[in-house]
Amino acid sequence: MKVYLGEFEELVLLTIATLGNEAYGVSIQQDIEARCHRSISIGALHSTITRLEEKSFLKSWMGGATQERGGRSKRYYEITQAGKKAVTEAKDLRDELWDLSKIKLSVR
Amino acid sequence: MSHNPPRLARQFFEWVCGSAKVDDLLGDLDEWFYLHVKTKPPLRAKLWYWKQVLSLSFSYTIRKRKRDAKTGLYSSSTLSFDMLQNYIKIAVRNLYQYKYFSVLNVFGLAIGMSVSLLLIALITYIKTYDNFHTNKDHIYTIVSERTEGVEQRMYATVPVVLAEKLEQHPDVHKAVRIQAGFLEEVKQSNGSLPIRGYYVEPNFLEIFTYDITQGNSAAALTKPNSIIITESAARKIFNSTEVLGKTLEMEHGGLLEIGAVMKDHPVNSHLAFEVLVSYATLPQSKASVADQWMNYGKEYIYVLLKEDRSIEELQTYLNTIAQNTYKQLPIKAIFDIQHLSDITMGPDYRQAIGPKWEASGMIVFMIIAAMILLPACFNYTNISIARALKRAKEIGLRKTMGGVKEQIFFQFITETVVITLISLAGAILIFFLIRSEFQSMMVASSSLDLSLTGKTILWFFLFALATGIFAGIFPAFYFGRLNPIQALKSKINGRSSAMRIRKVLTVFQFALSFGFILSLIVFSRQYQYSIGFDFGFTKNNIVNVPLQGVEPQLVKSEFSQLAQVQSITFSSDVLGLGFSDAWVKNSEKDSLEVAQVFVDKNFLSTFGLTLLAGSNFPEETWQRERFIIVNEEFLKAYKIEQPMDAIGRTFQVDSTQLEVIGVLKNFHFAPLRFPISKFFFRMHPQRFAYAHVTVRTDDAFTLFTQLEGRWKNLSERKMEARFFEDDLNESYSWYQTLLKIIGFLGLLALTISMLGMLGMVVYTSETRAKEVSIRKVMGATVPNLALLLSKDYLKLMLWAIVFAVPVTAYLLQLILPQIQYYNVTLKVWDVLISTVVLILIGLATVTSQTYKTARINPAETLRAE
Repeated sequence: MKVYLGEFEELVLLTIATLGNEAYGVSIQQDIEARCHRSISIGALHSTITRLEEKSFLKSWMGGATQERGGRSKRYYEITQAGKKAVTEAKDLRDELWDLSKIKLSVR
Repeated sequence: MSHNPPRLARQFFEWVCGSAKVDDLLGDLDEWFYLHVKTKPPLRAKLWYWKQVLSLSFSYTIRKRKRDAKTGLYSSSTLSFDMLQNYIKIAVRNLYQYKYFSVLNVFGLAIGMSVSLLLIALITYIKTYDNFHTNKDHIYTIVSERTEGVEQRMYATVPVVLAEKLEQHPDVHKAVRIQAGFLEEVKQSNGSLPIRGYYVEPNFLEIFTYDITQGNSAAALTKPNSIIITESAARKIFNSTEVLGKTLEMEHGGLLEIGAVMKDHPVNSHLAFEVLVSYATLPQSKASVADQWMNYGKEYIYVLLKEDRSIEELQTYLNTIAQNTYKQLPIKAIFDIQHLSDITMGPDYRQAIGPKWEASGMIVFMIIAAMILLPACFNYTNISIARALKRAKEIGLRKTMGGVKEQIFFQFITETVVITLISLAGAILIFFLIRSEFQSMMVASSSLDLSLTGKTILWFFLFALATGIFAGIFPAFYFGRLNPIQALKSKINGRSSAMRIRKVLTVFQFALSFGFILSLIVFSRQYQYSIGFDFGFTKNNIVNVPLQGVEPQLVKSEFSQLAQVQSITFSSDVLGLGFSDAWVKNSEKDSLEVAQVFVDKNFLSTFGLTLLAGSNFPEETWQRERFIIVNEEFLKAYKIEQPMDAIGRTFQVDSTQLEVIGVLKNFHFAPLRFPISKFFFRMHPQRFAYAHVTVRTDDAFTLFTQLEGRWKNLSERKMEARFFEDDLNESYSWYQTLLKIIGFLGLLALTISMLGMLGMVVYTSETRAKEVSIRKVMGATVPNLALLLSKDYLKLMLWAIVFAVPVTAYLLQLILPQIQYYNVTLKVWDVLISTVVLILIGLATVTSQTYKTARINPAETLRAE
């Protein structure tokens, strides 16, 4: 079954991939906000993460605690095989459309 | 100084999340906060923290985590087919294991649902009314709301002159005038046959869909004195359907030619007829235009709208017509448009053209059905909750293994639905048993067909589902909320509230049964009372013979030759059954409406009426009407104190001056429904419609054959003689139907309440078996124990009676005068008898079980310890 991947969902998945072993709530949000210059709420981010987990594109585990978190542990996220497949499919679709484009799209 | 995240926000968040795991989220929030504090003013940081808490609180993440926290390790949040299979399997096993309770439940629910099934079948069938017309979506009828003085009434009729105006409107495709007053007798070689139908215009058949089998229907409805006959009417009159071109001779004059033959119309129609007579047959109306707009009995208009038009514009048009027309007239009327599908089971319009099934009657039926169904559902609820202990271990285990509240809820709903579906089979069986009896009680039974169709069965099924959900919802909630630890330890507490509800429900059921028993007794007394009522006149040994147009003197001379006949008298109406009205003008007062019956001079002596003053009508040298004989009520109305004073006074009755010649003691000239009111006898041979023959015989059969022999010399029609007493009693025979209905409903209610009680008794007997055994070992006797176990139920029954007596008494006091002015009142005896009946039946039910429990050998139950 082809799973639909939203724009924000794709963004979150890719960000988690770029963060490697250091992908947890705060780092993901910082990265997205810095890279896209947009402010997102924790609620919105975690809703998306939860849905991605339900679609089994992500898996998570509890990590260590640090002082600046009031002694609370972090939840780390990692992209799964299904998640990789989903972003690949999304990329393929885009590449295909780029290739097929009748006009010159790139404006760099 | 160091700033910390706002404590209140965190507490709020923790409260929202409850048992959900949100450690990581709180950590993220704190981390962000400490980052922000470094760059922003602390207030901004705190505000930000609050904002994020709120955004998280309403996020999907929290919802999902809370849900996860509730369910166990092995639970699945989706309802799978496998689980449903498991529920049904467990339900069937439980049914099988506790056979006694299963039978009680199924039997009770089947009885409870049976009456509702009747209602469903009835409504489903009525909903199909008039659905066979091809144009059904675009057919409308015009109805009127008539205001005469202060009286406002809704009529299904409208002035037919309105049709011309309707035809001019651009939205109207066709309009048809109908006159419903065709009620004739067809002359036959041996008597006559009644026939009824409508006068209709030719486009009747273009608007409505009927199946013409022979002849030219358009021509048949265009020519005067031409008719279309249905096949069954043709068979009735000619014994054949090949009747095209034949003529029917009417008893009241006139020949009608059969221009076409049609198939019988389906019975599910609000138009019911045997023949359609061409509208041209009706004589041209000689009434003035104003009269035509004001007097419109039996006239109907149906319109076929153009397909793409709605009724709004036509309604405005009708309002304008009504306003303009009735501006100058003494009565007012407005016209409304009613869709064909709204006619049956719609609002209660007077003078409906055919069978119509009022919505109000349906509501009464619904209430009755609910009164039978609800107690049956209560029983199920009662027994299920009472037996919670038996199922507690299973539920505890399910919950421990990860079953969530919703799943347990669903399981018990499924179980109840399984039981109601089994009960449905039983209910359908009962439905078959009572269907024909029910049908025969309905007024319009000929236009009713209660056989099962796919649609009815579907509705039955949905109804059973709904009943199952209703009956099961309370136990399902209850079981869903059970605490697994307590359930596994078989320690279910907090049952006192459930116990109280159970008691209230049981009391309600008993009260209902008691109400039915009491009503049955009171109404049967009312029936006896009406039959044995002293009307104030003789009713024995009198035979009433409707004259049917035969000359009274001829009847007298024929019948008086018979030896058994003592005397013969004539009247216009039968005493105690009918009367007519006259307007009396008096110089002092305005007109008064007075009841009247026309009689001859033998009447008073035949019926044993007592004169208080004055004398009987004089010898019959009748040229013109001169006298009246009045009753006491008449004197009261004119404030005449002494009967003697009334003699010789004259009153203007209708348009003639009549003199009071005698005053009679009050007697019941009208049915007992009405109080005795102003009344007089008049003498006018032309109004005679009945001969009253006083006879002296024990052999009714010979008498009637002899009368019939004489009657044959007078008329071709069949003699319709009956004993006066039978006639009178017959007019109260509808009480028998009423008693049958009350008795049947009472039986159902009583059975259901007894079944419910039986369930409870069996359950308590089971749980108290050990207690009973110990008491027995300690020396209690069997009757002692039986009483001990039955005591609680006896108390409940007494409570029910205490509640039911005032309610029933109030309702009876409200209803009895409504249906009959001279009625019985509730007596202490009625209550006592009903109480004894209920208690006896209840005790028999209870002791059948408690006695059994009390007799068990204590060794058997105590051995297990």
